[in-house]
Amino acid sequence: MANQKKERSTARKWTRRAFIGVGGLAGVGLVVGVGGYMHISSAVKKYSGKGMGDGNSMNAWVRIAPDNTVTIAVARAEMGQGVTTALPQLVAEELEVDMNSIKVVSPQPESPYSNTFLVTKNRPNAFKGYDLLEKVYAFLPVIATGGSTSVIDAWTNMRFAGATAREMLKTAAAKQWGTSLVNCKAENGYVINTATNDRLSYGELAEAASSIELDELPTLKKKEDFKIVGKPVKRLDSFEKVTGTAEYGIDIRLDGMLYAAIKHPSTIGAKIKSVSNEDTILNMPGVKKVLVLEDGPAAVVADNTWLASKAAQALQVEEEGGDVSISTEGILAQMNDLLKQKPLKITRNDGNVADAFAQEQANTKTIEARYDLPYLAHATMEPMNATVLVKDGKATLWCGHQAASVAHTMVEAVSGIPKKDITVNTTYLGGGFGRRGEPDFVRYATAVAKEMEGTPVQTIFTREEDMKNDMYRPMAASQFKAKISGDGELIAWDNKMVLQSCSNNAMGRIMPSMATAPADDETTAEGADNMPYVIKNQRVAFNDIQLPIQIGYWRSVGYSQNGFFAESFFDECAHAVGKDPYEFRRSKLGNHPRFAAVLDKVAEISNWKTPLPEGKYRGISLVKSYNSIVGEVVEISKQGEKEFKIDKVYAAIDCGNVVNPDIVDTQVQGGIIFGLTAALYGEITWKDGQVVQSNFPNYEMVRMGVCPEIQVHIMDIDEPPGGVGEPGTPPAAPALANALFAATGERIRTLPLNKQGYKFV
Amino acid sequence: MNLNINGKDYQVDADPAMPLLWVLRDVLNMTGTKYGCGVASCGACTVHIDGVAMRTCTLPASALEGKAITTIEGITKGNELSAVQKAWIEHSAPQCGYCQSGMIMAAEALLKENPDPTDKDINKSITNICRCGSYNRVRQAIKTAAKNLGNTEDQLLGSL
Ligand code: FES
Ligand code: FES
Repeated sequence: MANQKKERSTARKWTRRAFIGVGGLAGVGLVVGVGGYMHISSAVKKYSGKGMGDGNSMNAWVRIAPDNTVTIAVARAEMGQGVTTALPQLVAEELEVDMNSIKVVSPQPESPYSNTFLVTKNRPNAFKGYDLLEKVYAFLPVIATGGSTSVIDAWTNMRFAGATAREMLKTAAAKQWGTSLVNCKAENGYVINTATNDRLSYGELAEAASSIELDELPTLKKKEDFKIVGKPVKRLDSFEKVTGTAEYGIDIRLDGMLYAAIKHPSTIGAKIKSVSNEDTILNMPGVKKVLVLEDGPAAVVADNTWLASKAAQALQVEEEGGDVSISTEGILAQMNDLLKQKPLKITRNDGNVADAFAQEQANTKTIEARYDLPYLAHATMEPMNATVLVKDGKATLWCGHQAASVAHTMVEAVSGIPKKDITVNTTYLGGGFGRRGEPDFVRYATAVAKEMEGTPVQTIFTREEDMKNDMYRPMAASQFKAKISGDGELIAWDNKMVLQSCSNNAMGRIMPSMATAPADDETTAEGADNMPYVIKNQRVAFNDIQLPIQIGYWRSVGYSQNGFFAESFFDECAHAVGKDPYEFRRSKLGNHPRFAAVLDKVAEISNWKTPLPEGKYRGISLVKSYNSIVGEVVEISKQGEKEFKIDKVYAAIDCGNVVNPDIVDTQVQGGIIFGLTAALYGEITWKDGQVVQSNFPNYEMVRMGVCPEIQVHIMDIDEPPGGVGEPGTPPAAPALANALFAATGERIRTLPLNKQGYKFV
Repeated sequence: MNLNINGKDYQVDADPAMPLLWVLRDVLNMTGTKYGCGVASCGACTVHIDGVAMRTCTLPASALEGKAITTIEGITKGNELSAVQKAWIEHSAPQCGYCQSGMIMAAEALLKENPDPTDKDINKSITNICRCGSYNRVRQAIKTAAKNLGNTEDQLLGSL
């Protein structure tokens, strides 16, 4: 779930209801004043103990044990992006502790841990403090990880969490020594009395410090004083991940636990009404129960995952409803028709596009092109699963979920057990990419566990069920028309796209109160209506298409398709007037120095201006998403007829201040490979109301042999941080397609490439 | 059936058709070996059978009686990480980490067979899927592990 944007009106409605919902917290609400960061000051202490378990909590994020172990609560899901290292870095920097003394815990989904930046708008001043709306959101436990927001949201908060704890420890030491605070210095887990050189460890001070109330917020360090932030600190989760001891949702093992496998209806929109061979299935040794769940699927509970899956597959079911008419060809025809209709929404309208095209001008060219892209599955390495125990009026969930608060709500809704009696244990996530923000697998796991009361049950989707029942990146079609002058001025740009609305469809499941109307969905045209280029007359518009297909947030969301569309057609414009694609872009970045710097940097590290040897080609692209600007150059070499090798990808990223450059590097690399995988192989197609693909053999991934070398350059910029989990993805496919055009003269206007006869070795 | 896993004998009561992956994960609660596809495509379930890397999601456990099975849990000797695991940490190879048990097992087997693999060798034998895209770090880690393993052997030879 990424980049949730919504209209103020929706937010207000939601707010009022929420206030009623949290009723008892109204008194806490009054504390909001303190510099905007109330959840680090006194209000938050209400949650400290609960959020952090027993022990000496300084606030909801920091607990210090007598043996000096520092426990830091990270309420963001670790799905590979390194939050359980980066967020502790922010705390440790201010707390003055060694990264090696840190233990990370995942707290219960409570309000201090709200991802304020995700639920409010991704707007640039969100770093500067909370406005009223943000203050309100901070009380609503939207504990979610997505939209590349974790560091953006934590950048100030987590440093304050560390700084506040440090000042409490120093104050406790000053009291104990009977000296003034100015004589107390915090250093590497100790408070030192600078007058006497006495030292007290944080562990010794923790108990006294935990009850200290500060009068004001501490001042945060300046960038030039950072010792931990901005450094390539080694990930804290590596040891567990190389020893096989990291616990993912699917690894939960409990006494007496059973395993359930889900069988979804085979046709879209259908429900399983009944099972006709229940007796046969129940006769399989080890099968415990066959269930038809309220919402459509069936489930088999058994002794182990293998048996449960086999049995679920063998279920003979009767389905009702469903739409067998859904097919990829049909959707494409509908989209083509909608492209010609009046748009539902014009999201950008600069100058006068109609006049600009109508005007007769010498030495200009007008070009048109139509693009489309398929549905895509997330295909997280760990298939969807959740483990639930319903017992004695209480429920416990073990699950790797991107939004613990959404999971919490779902367990409550299905089990009927109030939230206060539900414990949510967040494990590592074997990949998220937006898929694990959805509540479906928690819903089914809870429904199964409710039927199996008293027994913990792990409910999983097999890979096939996972792939056929994903919430897909929407299929999209995009139509372009541009007018360019012979000397390279982009006079007019008209772009219209058609796709399903993510923030309507996905949010309708994830947080219905925050779902937008399709017309107000800012993710639909993102990447198309916010290009940095100077184009005097520019119109971007979209039409919504209503389909029963579930679509969702997929790493980089709207940018994943619009980045490809816009940056490919932009390349077409450059070639139409014989301009170099880098120069053409560069000449239109006049008032955007940060974009220009990124583009220049990627051109520099890729030696763009030096011609490549024969048989080698390259393409370039530039996309800003999630507050970070990424430029990429893809270099390919011809191996045979329509056969290429991707030799190297160069990337430059401006993501503002960096917490951990090594993690940024791996995230950008991962994002690029995610984009290339989609470009080379990614396609979910529909036939007779069913998804055709089912597993990796027909939904292939870039693997080691095809994976290019990748060089990432991180710009050194002292600005608020941007996201890094997603921004690497959008420029990858267009840069590759632009390179293929350079090589073959064939313009790639749809993906995947393997379907068009391209082979990559 | 009787299985020898990480040097220990286990008497396992399970359907003979049950793939080793599920015997490990659901019967013996050794969850380091992962399920990714169930069709021998992704490599998440890779373990060593008599030293050879094999995908276990389609491999009936009963066929493995009398063979030496090594899982990711058997690679770590007490608290001592293998050269491969150390190199993995040095290069921060794991992102979400889910594929990494299989990656490490594939790399361990490769290095046993070929102590100084070229890029081509690595491409050929590491065919596991990493959805997070850790391939370049994995490649570097394999090379570092190869170097360190080579060094240890040289040192050993030198001290003789
Ligand atoms: S789970 Fe065995 S190869 Fe994928
Ligand atoms: S590290 Fe996530 S799948 Fe490889």
